[in-house]
Amino acid sequence: MTDMKKRQTAGSKPVGHVTIADRRQFLIGSAGLLGAAAFGAGTSLGLGRARAQSRAEISFASAAFFGKETFGDLIKAFNESQDRILVKNIELPPPSSSTEVYQGLVQQLARRTGTPDVFSQDVIWIAGFAAAGWALPLDEYFPADKRSAYFTGTLNACTYGGKLTALPWFMDSGMFYYRKDVLEKHGGKVPETWADMAAIAAAAQKAGDIDFGYLWQGKQAEVLVCDAVEIITSNNGAILAPDGKSSLINQKGAVEAIQFLHDTMAASKISPQDVLSWDEEPSRQPFTSGKAMFMRNWSYVYPIAQDAKASQVVDKVGVAPLPSFPGGKSSACLGGYQLGVNANSKQREAAIELLTWLSSTETQHRIALNFGLAPTRPALFQDAQIKKEQPFMASLEKVFTGATARPITPEYAKVTLALQSGISKALVSGNVQAEMDALAAQINKIVG
Amino acid sequence: MSAAATIPGIGRPRRLGRALPGALWALLLLTPAFVSLASVSFYPIVNGLYLSLTNTSLITQEQDFTGFSNYVELWGDPQFWNAWWHTMWFTTASTVLETVIGLGMALILCEAFKGRGLVRAAMLVPWAMPTVVTSKMFGWLFDGQNGIVNHILLNAGLIDQNINWYGSPDTAMTTIIIADVWKTTPFMALLLLTGFQTVPNSLIEAARMDGAKGWITFWYIRLPLLMPTLLIAGLFRALDAFRVFDLVYVLTGGGPADSTETLSTLSYKVLFSTLQFGYGSAVSTAMFITEGIIALIFVVFLVRQIRRAQ
Repeated sequence: MTDMKKRQTAGSKPVGHVTIADRRQFLIGSAGLLGAAAFGAGTSLGLGRARAQSRAEISFASAAFFGKETFGDLIKAFNESQDRILVKNIELPPPSSSTEVYQGLVQQLARRTGTPDVFSQDVIWIAGFAAAGWALPLDEYFPADKRSAYFTGTLNACTYGGKLTALPWFMDSGMFYYRKDVLEKHGGKVPETWADMAAIAAAAQKAGDIDFGYLWQGKQAEVLVCDAVEIITSNNGAILAPDGKSSLINQKGAVEAIQFLHDTMAASKISPQDVLSWDEEPSRQPFTSGKAMFMRNWSYVYPIAQDAKASQVVDKVGVAPLPSFPGGKSSACLGGYQLGVNANSKQREAAIELLTWLSSTETQHRIALNFGLAPTRPALFQDAQIKKEQPFMASLEKVFTGATARPITPEYAKVTLALQSGISKALVSGNVQAEMDALAAQINKIVG
Repeated sequence: MSAAATIPGIGRPRRLGRALPGALWALLLLTPAFVSLASVSFYPIVNGLYLSLTNTSLITQEQDFTGFSNYVELWGDPQFWNAWWHTMWFTTASTVLETVIGLGMALILCEAFKGRGLVRAAMLVPWAMPTVVTSKMFGWLFDGQNGIVNHILLNAGLIDQNINWYGSPDTAMTTIIIADVWKTTPFMALLLLTGFQTVPNSLIEAARMDGAKGWITFWYIRLPLLMPTLLIAGLFRALDAFRVFDLVYVLTGGGPADSTETLSTLSYKVLFSTLQFGYGSAVSTAMFITEGIIALIFVVFLVRQIRRAQ
């Protein structure tokens, strides 16, 4: 009995993907059926079955985001907007289960059956999908003049091996939150360098105006890599060399940056040791309860900070680009989902049409208003309606201009695990140079 | 096995199966059980073993037989050994603590007192809770800034500043062990309680008549008779503790500085984040082998116990 139970658990893992794959297949199948049923109900009124048959049928898979509407509604709107293409919406798990979304997409794409024809992907998967040959290069459909309408940082993240393999959709990035009221007492000027930030934070902490000077995320998790990318890039450093074949994380720029993060806990003590176990939410809570002066976090914090029920700092919070080192440029870690076309799609033209529609100014406008997801087209930040309904989002153009991609490599999944472990070790021990040397050697082994 | 012994017995099937030889009839009846067990237990193990000898990866789309190269890599992988030691430490510490505390609880619950039934049922609440809920709860209890544990310790004067429970490599694993002990001790207590109830009252009464006090009765009568139950309960617990995943995943994600990485979280990362099914299967197989060895040690003691009893 015992023996069997144990064997099952130990043994079932390796083949877990088989059952998960089957289950997912079933789920996706049933989701598709549901979608089709919903669509049937929608179309039987006006378009009629016979006409639907003659349309090119393609599928669209995406993590499920919610807002005033769903991506299913978006696809329905596309289906109703024209009569050449019929899109089936495949709903993947929500973005909070991004590992599951990743698995779901990989299993679909690896079959090379052409399903889904169009998909959305987290920025960190783009290189992997491109290297595996699953993502169709989009250069011929989106020449340079069409691309200039997007943020450069996002385009960089969508490019692998010199080819555009994804089309920007919507984005988020790291940003610098500050307490306007406390800053007013300490000079009133938003710090632009890390040293200034540390000095102001330490002074405010010493004066007793605040418990914590600066909050960030040091938990051994993906968010630690984001924090690291930002601070390293702002010191003209990098995690990977431009060719992606070796690591620069043990070079001066990166080591200084990680040392700074360590010093916020150990030397200037503007951050509590607890940041080593904090990801987004634990670091957000002290800030919105009025205990901290500065914080690095994503855009989701702002609506919470402005909600009187959850926050004690309503109207006291400002947002700015993150500080940088002298001679460096502010950098914000890029997040968000970008669009791709399945290289094995049998309906390439239709897929491109859907892709173009999804990323168009009009659809991005709609997504910004209905989902609260920020556009990847800078021009939209000047849009009057967005400015009126999403004033905070509209104010982020400057932050997003500094958006920086995480290391672009098909081995990202391995690289990030190494980074999480190595940077965490450096932050805990303080032996930054030694840990970064070890980490660089490990990354070189993965990407070299 | 026992089924095989009973089936060729005398009875109705004999008439029905006159056309079939006895042994064949028995095998035929065993087939459904065998097939179902093989498909859910044997096949996954064999497939896992096979995968561990390949470089299967969903990302690179490779699936070549590579012999023992995964195991060679595993042997020299500091991440793996780091996780292996943490898992062993977690298993040992939590099993020992849970057994000792569970034994105490079982002894109390053995005694007759008012409301015993209610207490026995209520005691199981921590065990019945989903582990993720327990994890979140302990996350708050041991929160470095606002946690009640720090608050109490500070006010009692036992510490002079907040302890950073999950953020320091020195305390993170201990905190996870405490959470596990809280959650699973009731289960141990229940298992041991059933063991105590099989100890004949006459023996204890006889000991009392001979003038043995409580401690002596426990040490020379109840504990030796409880031994087989204790070993089986310990075996269950150790194998279960070895798979620890939820607590670590929710509370620390393996950090800080890999100080709470266990084999389950490591294999999850390798298998499902990097999608390297080959290497990940090798990690799982190594877990399987280690668990086999743990089980073997327990069984050796158990067999010795049973022999001694005979």
